[in-house]
Amino acid sequence: MDHKALALEMRGLREQVTGITDTAVAAADGLLIAADTADSIDPEGLAALAAAGLGLARRTADATSRGILRRTVTYGSHGCAAFYSVGDTALVVVLGDEGLDVDRLHMATQPALDRIGAILTDKATEGV
Amino acid sequence: MSDIQGPLDRFGHDLLVSALVACAREEFSGELRVSGMPGGTFHLRGGLVVAVESPGAPGPEALLLRSGRVSGEEWAGLVREAGGARWPAAGLITRGYAGAAQLRVVCAMALHDAVFAIVAGRVDGCERGLAAEPFTQVAVGEPPIRLLHDAARKLLAITSLPHPVRPDRERPRPVPDLAAPLTALQRELHAQADGRSTCRDLAFRSGRGVYTVTVEIARMLGEGFLVCEGPPPIPVRAIPEGQGVHHRKPPAYPPPQPPPVPAALPRRRPGGFFRLRNGTRNEESDMSKPT
Repeated sequence: MDHKALALEMRGLREQVTGITDTAVAAADGLLIAADTADSIDPEGLAALAAAGLGLARRTADATSRGILRRTVTYGSHGCAAFYSVGDTALVVVLGDEGLDVDRLHMATQPALDRIGAILTDKATEGV
Repeated sequence: MSDIQGPLDRFGHDLLVSALVACAREEFSGELRVSGMPGGTFHLRGGLVVAVESPGAPGPEALLLRSGRVSGEEWAGLVREAGGARWPAAGLITRGYAGAAQLRVVCAMALHDAVFAIVAGRVDGCERGLAAEPFTQVAVGEPPIRLLHDAARKLLAITSLPHPVRPDRERPRPVPDLAAPLTALQRELHAQADGRSTCRDLAFRSGRGVYTVTVEIARMLGEGFLVCEGPPPIPVRAIPEGQGVHHRKPPAYPPPQPPPVPAALPRRRPGGFFRLRNGTRNEESDMSKPT
């Protein structure tokens, strides 16, 4: 896995969409891989919550015949937390404040998810 | 430090000016969507601007909530009372959270701040849309060109400071063990600056206008209270052998059983609802007996 490329993707997403405050990447089981989060946030706990949240949402989508899960978004009075599946191997967490345009976030995230998925499963640059 | 080359994104600014001049001339009513970073939306009525929204500046709701004037729970209650309206102005006034004049000022400040954020950023294009009612608006619309002049003047004022910053560019970090006396706003910004947040991010966090925060951050950089050192590196962990990113195993849930199909629809028994609400008939008749 190319560590530098992963960090660049995470930083690039933040630069690309106004209102993103924090990002994290974890394996599908909640094992944290990388976090660009504020000190007030526990990235390990966030990764575990995201894995559990996506698991529950996936089960709900299955039980209600809603098709393949795309994402979950939690809205609060101070912003939102979006959890995205990266294929069936990993997940990406994006936190944003009230100014974040969520539709714009979803559009910008899709190509980034594909690239992050490729970086995570790339064996050629292991540990770079 | 800052890489501000000129006060304005000249090409984008010209696009925005020509689009807004046309809106004013044609007394356009509707929205003008500005694409770019951060971009935003101008809401116009009869060629005058009644509201502006941008991801680059806190709106009236964020200003009230983040400044602590209204809590999240209180806001949710007001929205419920207002039938789901996004801007529960009547409730805010009657419950005493803000006066009518204060709300007008907050809306006007948010409008000017959003124009500043759009002008200070990058404008890629402008596109008109159908009239969509903004959730807050000022009572008397403002001529769009006056708004643009005001925003350009603010941007020039920031550019003329010794350490100019853009609202969405630099991410200042506090100087540790600072002994200098700070104002209340400077103390707040010094505490919140973390090397990851832009002036725009800090404006949202503190519930203040992005122009106010940008000016103060520029001054604090000039005074040496803050520094810009580039973003901290993002730590990436090596995944332990055997625990790497692997395909998620589908959960071993049993396949959902189809719900049992009843042979016939349930039938209501006479008096059933009465018993549910008031107990049995016997109890009711006992209670009705004179004692």
